[in-house]
Amino acid sequence: MLTWIENPLFKPEPTDESMEPHATQLDQNAPRGGPVKFTYANGARPLAGYTIKRGVGRGGFGEVYFAVSDGGKEVALKLIRHNLDIELRGVTHCLNLKHPNLIALYDVKQDEQDNSWVVMEYATGESLEDVIRRHPQGMPADQVADWMHGIAAGVAYLHDHGIVHRDLKPGNIFRDDGQVKLGDYGLSKFISCSRRSGQTESIGTVHYMAPEISNGRYGKEIDIYALGIILYEMLTGRVPFEGESVGEVLMKHLTAEPSLAEVAADYRDVISRALAKDPTRRFESIGQLVSALPAVAGAAYRAPLVETLAADAPLAANVERLPPPQAVYTPQAANAPQGQLAQQAPPPSGGLFPDDEPIWRAVRDGWRSTRDSWDNLGTPSKIGVVVLGVMLISNSYTWDFAINVVPPLISLYICYRVARFVLMQQAGHSAATVSAPPRPEPIPRPTAAGPSEPAATMYQATSSDARRPEWRHVGKRGRRGSGRHWREQAAAALVVKSPRERLADLAGSMIFAAVICAVMCVVAILLRGGESIVKEQYAWLALVSLLGSWAILIPSKLWEGTLGDQTLRRVALLIVGLAMGAVAYLAADMLMITFPDTPSLHAVSSNLGGRFYDAKGAPLLYAYLAYFGGLFATVRWWKQADPLRHTRLSLWNTGWSVFAAWVIDWIWAFPQPWGLMVAAIISISVQLVSPFVPQHDRVARTAGME
Amino acid sequence: MFDFFRPLSTDSAASVQWIDSAVKNSASRNRLLLWVDAVGGFFVCQGNEVRLGQAVPGSEVEVPLLADLSRHHATIRRDEEGYTIEPIRDVWLNHQKIERVSWINDGNLIQLGPALQMRFTRPHPLSATARLDFVSNHRTQPSASAVLLMADTCILGPGSSNHVVCRAWPHDVVLYRQHGGLYCRAGGALEIDGKPCDGQGPLTPQSRVSGDEFSFSLEEI
Repeated sequence: MLTWIENPLFKPEPTDESMEPHATQLDQNAPRGGPVKFTYANGARPLAGYTIKRGVGRGGFGEVYFAVSDGGKEVALKLIRHNLDIELRGVTHCLNLKHPNLIALYDVKQDEQDNSWVVMEYATGESLEDVIRRHPQGMPADQVADWMHGIAAGVAYLHDHGIVHRDLKPGNIFRDDGQVKLGDYGLSKFISCSRRSGQTESIGTVHYMAPEISNGRYGKEIDIYALGIILYEMLTGRVPFEGESVGEVLMKHLTAEPSLAEVAADYRDVISRALAKDPTRRFESIGQLVSALPAVAGAAYRAPLVETLAADAPLAANVERLPPPQAVYTPQAANAPQGQLAQQAPPPSGGLFPDDEPIWRAVRDGWRSTRDSWDNLGTPSKIGVVVLGVMLISNSYTWDFAINVVPPLISLYICYRVARFVLMQQAGHSAATVSAPPRPEPIPRPTAAGPSEPAATMYQATSSDARRPEWRHVGKRGRRGSGRHWREQAAAALVVKSPRERLADLAGSMIFAAVICAVMCVVAILLRGGESIVKEQYAWLALVSLLGSWAILIPSKLWEGTLGDQTLRRVALLIVGLAMGAVAYLAADMLMITFPDTPSLHAVSSNLGGRFYDAKGAPLLYAYLAYFGGLFATVRWWKQADPLRHTRLSLWNTGWSVFAAWVIDWIWAFPQPWGLMVAAIISISVQLVSPFVPQHDRVARTAGME
Repeated sequence: MFDFFRPLSTDSAASVQWIDSAVKNSASRNRLLLWVDAVGGFFVCQGNEVRLGQAVPGSEVEVPLLADLSRHHATIRRDEEGYTIEPIRDVWLNHQKIERVSWINDGNLIQLGPALQMRFTRPHPLSATARLDFVSNHRTQPSASAVLLMADTCILGPGSSNHVVCRAWPHDVVLYRQHGGLYCRAGGALEIDGKPCDGQGPLTPQSRVSGDEFSFSLEEI
């Protein structure tokens, strides 16, 4: 099969026997990301009027050749087999774009076998990939600025014409006659689909892929993200997210933070903003990104660009005021020995392996997320939390607990850390070898043969071949356990997710939710002690919690990975909550439950009168509707089901849900603790059953201990 | 039948041209284009004396350059001791204008005329073959990535000290001259013009060579 046929969008056509069976065979045998085989050799004339000189590389959809027309014009020819309409649409759309920073597309022609050929400008200069390879420690600032401005001008032009490049990478960017040129635009529109299948892609192509591509979003923001990666790579000589497999790299795009320690301080904000996981937190335009770049001494290049992008200037003024996307980028964090940055940075080979103990990390992450959430809270909520805290602290049981439980826990933990440290010292060497990301082999003699093979790797899809074999090697040496595979698959699966897979996911979560709800009910019974167990009440609790979890899981799955309007979502959840209230009422009615703990009517609910509560104070249908409707609309439940949430189970989230329930209880009183328990169980089960991508790649770090 | 005749007729026309050019140019100038797939195109000069000059119709120098030069601007010669350059017109070596024949060493910068700059390298310590890379934005005619001044061997492969660096190749491939002919030798399986060879074989000026993970073609100029 040709590589792109893997994409379900494109049904494999029966191979035309009359049509170069040789070629198909070659494609089959071509190793993924390995050296490229070409159908046509020097002297062939598959397209009338052009003589092939040599193969140049293989782009996403076909082979690229260097050819000379009968008139003597040197061109690049891109072969698109079987006349792929979908691909050609992208090309024809771009055929008449004109910009000095874009490789010109001349024409699209058909050969006698109904294959299409894109005739385009042949860039003779070296690619940015070659330049980066020549500077394994990063390129000089003035060169970086020069390339950045050229690339930005080209991309800005594309965006200005409603086109997203989608495949920006150093292998696609050339310097020809002093001019930076972008290639493969318009051709890449649908390649990205096949990218997502993960299986067919060579690792080099996923290094520049924005996280939201996993959800099928292809906005301008993905180009800005790719530009951020390229900037990082130019400055440091390597991409921020490296890995041994496509899955691993994709997972890092989704979850890991780039290590900015080795990037010059001036560039950190630009990169962190361009690489924000959330596309809405990135620069809004290429112009903004360019304006945020630090001024460089020899930046004579800057002048023309500033002119072109002058329209963006007012927007750029906002840049300064916006907070950096992640707290971890602050310089303090960069220096913190246990900080996230330290984790991400490659451990010095042979040096001390930075200790990244899971329990400590969980506590730290928990604290961090609490702090973040605290910062995001409004004042009333903060006051509420403080009041709760004061109530807890003033309770003597809390102190008993603290005195009797905390010190033993700490001493246990210290013993564990010591034992772990000893073990790590032994496993340290192999672990360090495994986790050190291999760097591209530095080229000792920059002026030697290597650099100036103009466009040698032009259009090559296999942009990091040079690094790949090394990775494989490391992988073998590292004795990876099978533990790695499920994680990789999980990440890859998240990236691929088709509607069908989402449905399967959802079904799994829903089944699992039933188990969790049942278990939580048992826990609730145990917690409340043996006193007065009424089966019907717990049955109601289990049933309502389960249905509630489902009612959250289903819309959350629909919204997964998108950033919809919060208000609309709340309204949707309100409707779901009202329905839930009705169901809860019917369930109570059917089970003929009388809650023993009738609600103590508070200020508001005491005035609601007979439609909400009966004479004994037991809630009627309206009270159910109000309570559940309120509960569903108050909490941003979909966040608890997001696969990219901070931690799988955040007690903060659960606490917040319970707190919301408690507040609603003040308005529309509900028999407690049942109402609170429902909120807690729904929150816990939704978080436990929703798919979750771990925040860090723990594989590399734990491998040594497995 | 029609299909059969058509290529034949163009072939015969080409062959007339070829004889013509062979007599006038190639035979005397001993040049080849080496087209390495996925790597680049190289202008290979096999003679010990290589003239450089402006590319004009009927240009007679070995390396015609698309630049503001004289028709014969300089001559590079190779002997047992190394390479020399003879300036016919303005030539600078490492930014120093030269008036007489001078030695060129690995890494030297050669400037011809007002703007054309080339870097001279001898990448492989065991081979006398040298390479000229353009530093300025100039080209040969027909265009190629670099000029190879081939002595007895020319090594293609993944190593960074090869004459042609082919990063993705599994092993080196050596082109070498023997008994006045050009041969090819490889560490792995090799096919020349579609015929499997046992590690090595003779090449013609139009040969196509391919292996497991590489391919290249020769073209006579």
